Amino acid sequence: MQSPYEGRLIRLRAREREDEALLYQWFNDPEVTEFLSMRYPLSHAQERAFIESASEISYGKASFAVETLADSRLIGGVGLERTSPENRSAVLGIALGDKTYWDSGYGTDTMRAICRFGFEMMNLHRIELEVFEENRRAIAVYERVGFAVEGCRRDAQFKFGRYTNSLVMGLLEGELIGHKE
Amino acid sequence: MEGVKPMRAPFEGKLVRLRAREPEDEPYHNQWFNAWDVVRYLGRRYPISHAQSRKMLEPDPRYGWSIGFIIETLLEGDPIGQVFLGSASAEDRSAELGISIGDKSRWDGGYGTDAMRTVCRFGFDMMHLHRIELGVYADNERAVHVYERIGFRTEGRRREMYFKEGVYHDTLIMGLLEGELVDG
Ligand SMILES: CC(C)(COP(=O)(O)OP(=O)(O)OC[C@H]1O[C@@H](n2cnc3c(N)ncnc32)[C@H](O)[C@@H]1OP(=O)(O)O)[C@@H](O)C(=O)NCCC(=O)NCCS
Ligand SMILES: CC(C)(COP(=O)(O)OP(=O)(O)OC[C@H]1O[C@@H](n2cnc3c(N)ncnc32)[C@H](O)[C@@H]1OP(=O)(O)O)[C@@H](O)C(=O)NCCC(=O)NCCS
Repeated sequence: MQSPYEGRLIRLRAREREDEALLYQWFNDPEVTEFLSMRYPLSHAQERAFIESASEISYGKASFAVETLADSRLIGGVGLERTSPENRSAVLGIALGDKTYWDSGYGTDTMRAICRFGFEMMNLHRIELEVFEENRRAIAVYERVGFAVEGCRRDAQFKFGRYTNSLVMGLLEGELIGHKE
Repeated sequence: MEGVKPMRAPFEGKLVRLRAREPEDEPYHNQWFNAWDVVRYLGRRYPISHAQSRKMLEPDPRYGWSIGFIIETLLEGDPIGQVFLGSASAEDRSAELGISIGDKSRWDGGYGTDAMRTVCRFGFDMMHLHRIELGVYADNERAVHVYERIGFRTEGRRREMYFKEGVYHDTLIMGLLEGELVDG
């Protein structure tokens, strides 16, 4: 049986205190956060508090560290949050903080693994995410795994001196592409 | 006075006035949110207790920069519903809007339209918002009609977003930017 935590390149695991140093480095790097909503520098205390709050994975807060299958190296994080049991819906967030791993298929594999986990282990019906319209790399990944653009929130965020749009994308049960062996 | 334009009070429209919420609003607030016709198109699905109603009327720190009003008629001063601008982001100058006319006998009398115009005008002119957003069930035709009339644009459609009354419903994302409010 294929492990529900594993893709072809990555494994989802619980977050650990020891992850803090890398998270601090990543999320203070403007290249990593360019298309994320965060804009202020983050303290070690904030990162510790984040890991503390996320380290017990549950239906309500399914937040994972992403590590490589090949050498168990921590490369990012992904999560399903704002889960609604009645609507069977959740909101997805992903960031590979280790830039040296970008454009090598890890994001695509992580997306497939987390969505499969959401549908097959959490019994979700709908997974939603939001992405800056200019984040073409991320949008390419989301579309490849089956997400559909459902809307465009005009001028939804202000960063770097201007307003930009954000896209709402959704994936329903049965729409995930390329997760089977 | 010649040359001086009479200023419209920022809380007042043509039919309604927006005022702050009071603990004394609890009894009818509770009635509104227990009436299925009123809440079927809202996020709510469980009955609401008086204690919960009291809590909802208090400022909620979780929603940060957020403001809620009671809508009352200008003519009689009757409370007929509520409206809020919440989850506001200072940097993005955006907020989410929610409205319900809880007194069903007042539906289709123009109060919703007037309250929407008034709260949006308040958002832009007094809170200096850039964007106001709302989510609405795609099948809530009355509400969509009102929002479109005052200038909201449909920006998207979340497929099968809410499960209620045995089926999934799509919801529309609607947005209104500075300068887009259509006055009546
Ligand atoms: C977005 C992210 C998850 C993607 O992960 P990744 O491992 O880089 O993605 P993959 O390698 O699986 O796929 C990237 C694809 O985008 C393509 N791509 C890269 N830049 C692109 C661009 N500017 N326009 C269009 N496509 C682009 C790549 O060519 C690749 O496609 P290919 O495999 O067909 O060549 C990752 O880069 C990341 O976390 N970035 C920083 C944080 C972030 O933006 N998170 C998303 C917030 S919504
Ligand atoms: C939606 C709501 C705010 C509208 O307020 P209202 O005071 O009834 O609205 P108004 O009287 O200003 O306008 C209603 C308009 O909708 C029209 N309308 C009524 N039913 C309609 C329908 N099924 N399809 C299309 N239009 C309809 C009316 O004819 C009227 O338009 P008109 O003035 O051009 O004739 C109010 O009905 C309400 O609170 N409903 C319950 C809670 C709710 O649904 N809130 C919105 C959640 S997003």
